[in-house]
Amino acid sequence: MKTFSIRFYENRRIYYGISLTVIAVGLICNLIFGTKLDIKFKGGAVLSYSYTGEIEPQKVEQAVEKALSRDASIDVNKNVRSAESGEVANNVTISFAGTDSITPANQTAVLKALQEAYPGEKFGTVSTNSVNPSMGQSFFLKCIVAILIAFLLLNLYIAARFRKIGGMAAGFFAIFALLHDVAMVYFTFIIFRMPLDDNFVAVVLTILGYSLNDTIVIYDRIRENRRLMGPKTPYRVLVNTSINQTFTRSVNTAVCTFLAIATVFVVGSAYQLNSVVAFALPMMVGVVTGCYSTVCIAGPMYVTWENYKLKKRTLAAERSAAPEKAAQPRAAAPQPGTASPQGTAAGPKAPKTASRRKGKKRKR
Amino acid sequence: MKRVPKPVFFVVALLILLFTYTSLFGIKGKNGDNTVTYLKGVGDIRWGIDINGGVEATFTPATSAKATDRQMDSAEATIKQRLIGENITDYEVYTDYNHNRIIVRFPWKNDEKDFDPQKAIDELSATALVTFREGKEYTTETTGSDGQPVYKTPKGTTASNIILQGNEIESAAPEMRRDETTGVATYVVGLKLNESGAKKFSEATKRLTGQIISIWMDDEMISYPQVQQEITGDTCEIDGGSEGFTAAEASSLANKINAGALPFKLTTTSYGVLSPTLGRSSLSAMKLAGIIAFSLVGLFMILFFRLPGLVAVLSLLGQVGLSFAAVSGYFPFLNSFTLTLPGFAGIILSIGMGVDANIITATRIKEELWTGKTLDSAISRGDQNSFWAIFDGNITVIIVAVILMLVFGPKNILSYWFGASTTGSIYSFGYTLLIGIFGNFLFGVVTTRLMTKSISRFPFARNKWLYGGPADKHEDGKMQVGGAAV
Repeated sequence: MKTFSIRFYENRRIYYGISLTVIAVGLICNLIFGTKLDIKFKGGAVLSYSYTGEIEPQKVEQAVEKALSRDASIDVNKNVRSAESGEVANNVTISFAGTDSITPANQTAVLKALQEAYPGEKFGTVSTNSVNPSMGQSFFLKCIVAILIAFLLLNLYIAARFRKIGGMAAGFFAIFALLHDVAMVYFTFIIFRMPLDDNFVAVVLTILGYSLNDTIVIYDRIRENRRLMGPKTPYRVLVNTSINQTFTRSVNTAVCTFLAIATVFVVGSAYQLNSVVAFALPMMVGVVTGCYSTVCIAGPMYVTWENYKLKKRTLAAERSAAPEKAAQPRAAAPQPGTASPQGTAAGPKAPKTASRRKGKKRKR
Repeated sequence: MKRVPKPVFFVVALLILLFTYTSLFGIKGKNGDNTVTYLKGVGDIRWGIDINGGVEATFTPATSAKATDRQMDSAEATIKQRLIGENITDYEVYTDYNHNRIIVRFPWKNDEKDFDPQKAIDELSATALVTFREGKEYTTETTGSDGQPVYKTPKGTTASNIILQGNEIESAAPEMRRDETTGVATYVVGLKLNESGAKKFSEATKRLTGQIISIWMDDEMISYPQVQQEITGDTCEIDGGSEGFTAAEASSLANKINAGALPFKLTTTSYGVLSPTLGRSSLSAMKLAGIIAFSLVGLFMILFFRLPGLVAVLSLLGQVGLSFAAVSGYFPFLNSFTLTLPGFAGIILSIGMGVDANIITATRIKEELWTGKTLDSAISRGDQNSFWAIFDGNITVIIVAVILMLVFGPKNILSYWFGASTTGSIYSFGYTLLIGIFGNFLFGVVTTRLMTKSISRFPFARNKWLYGGPADKHEDGKMQVGGAAV
């Protein structure tokens, strides 16, 4: 049977590097572009009309600004194909500056101004969104609280579940992986300059559930293998083996989920359906990072931590053993002491040669 | 291993196909000229306003003081009355008493080409004009969306003779009267009039004893009681005539009459309009995406997992059927659920996530086969070993799906602090995600296992290669440790 033997722990610096690079790019973009909130969250108004013939954005802008005496920006979207009938239409989107909502009467005035500017063309409402700023803010707060509640509940679940699997440390790295995923989804919105809206909340929550699922399956396997492989196996080998065993499943599930949501993204982009794209694109990123963070971040970090703990314990054991010249059963925990030579004294260098012999199908 | 009889595969597969077919297309019959729907299909799904097109508006009283609950009820009753009168079905109205908001969501009317959403919003929120008029002469009679007749536009004396205006009524409230001899309870609407109203009403009731005084809201007649006697005081009662009022009818009429005396106007704080053209294009795109996604995932499963992959595709079909059945109202015990674009995306997403159960099981079976187990014991061990992994994985998604529903639902635990949601499109996503998980359990675990165990008893399906195992029998003896690096 085809099995993987990717040395996740040894390659950890590459993975950390990839993650840090993406985060750095995201942060830089965030500094340059800023965080845009959708009008659903901050209030404001966006009107979208279909039109026939030709229009000039500047003339539209003047007409609209005159009608409502408020700054507006115009976005023209030509040749929008309908997925239903195949008809092609042109759309013009008017976004008003500021966070104030508009009234239906304002909108009627806008339409009138458009028709006066272009008496020959026909304008039709495609969509309208006008949100009162205080309602937008309370909706935003509600969404933030929702994410926090989800995070809290998942943490409780992790605490209950990981007591059996890998203890608090494993739970901590599972949470770390989740934060990593939330950051990646957030930076997707930033890098692609999409305003944060309720799609963001939906995607973040879904990815939290999806990524944790992956992590639990792997830690479960680590626990099972600890039993099978015995306490002497170093954490590095244990975790690498466990991840490789569950790798097929992790990747297959990610591929299937990715295929499904990528299809939505491709079809949505083909017909310029903005709300569909704004949902599918970050979800695609989330599915990839949800799988990646578990395999490449949470696992290796867990090994680093356990090795660090071992090292500390061995040192403490040596120090307490040296002056008294007698083994103190309380100070030197018997189990980690036995595993120490490979895991700590040799450091990360020595195991490399050992595992190269084992892993003949190393991926490169 | 408990043996599953051979025909089980065909029975289960047939049931899944049957279920999926009916949940997609429904079962309809003809009863004379009427189409009778026995089972609802995709065509009967209530689409959200982001697909059907429609209007969502939030109204707030333009008053600095907090409106009372009764005033909010009254404003809500006005809006509902107008929606019904306009023959708009499938509207949703939520009143948030804490934050003084009324959220209205209604779809575009199917037959209306030049629907003016701005006008519709203005009309809904306009101050109600309640009048008491002589007689009950009306111009048109149509049927409202609740199936009751709608009488519109007064004429003749009813048009010319207005007895009372809404602001002359201090309050209207539903009351219960119990007959002292029979003990039967009846419901009435108690009216309290102001001074000028009482005077006018007394004159009118004296003149019109035994005749009809009709009550109108805007252009529509809402009640037409008969005057039984002259009313001299400032209070009177409207009873439901020979049929009597139910408690709900009495309170609804009282709310509508109160609307005429509301001390505030409703302003539109937020609103959204979506044209049906864009929505229908989105729906077609999602349907296309769904079909492509299903084909891709199915192809992947069959190429990668062979026979278990094929079984997975059947199970997945059932899961998709269940997702649609759960929103269309296919099951009598589950109400239909409004499906929005994110909701549809949730169904497609759960196609991808749903195969996880099949992937875990099939991978385990494959591993067991490579350790040299016989086919039967590999299947049975694979099933046992994978159950908890599947269970675990699903729990976390259930947690987030429930939270999504709680946050984006119309009324929820967080509404108390943050107000009812202005958007319901994510609510639908939470629901389809949740149903997807249940479908995953039901089909990805139960039916998959039944089918795998049953089909594996056929001679043609004994080859381990079909399950991803080694094709050559001689290699069976080769031992591998736990699937670790070779």
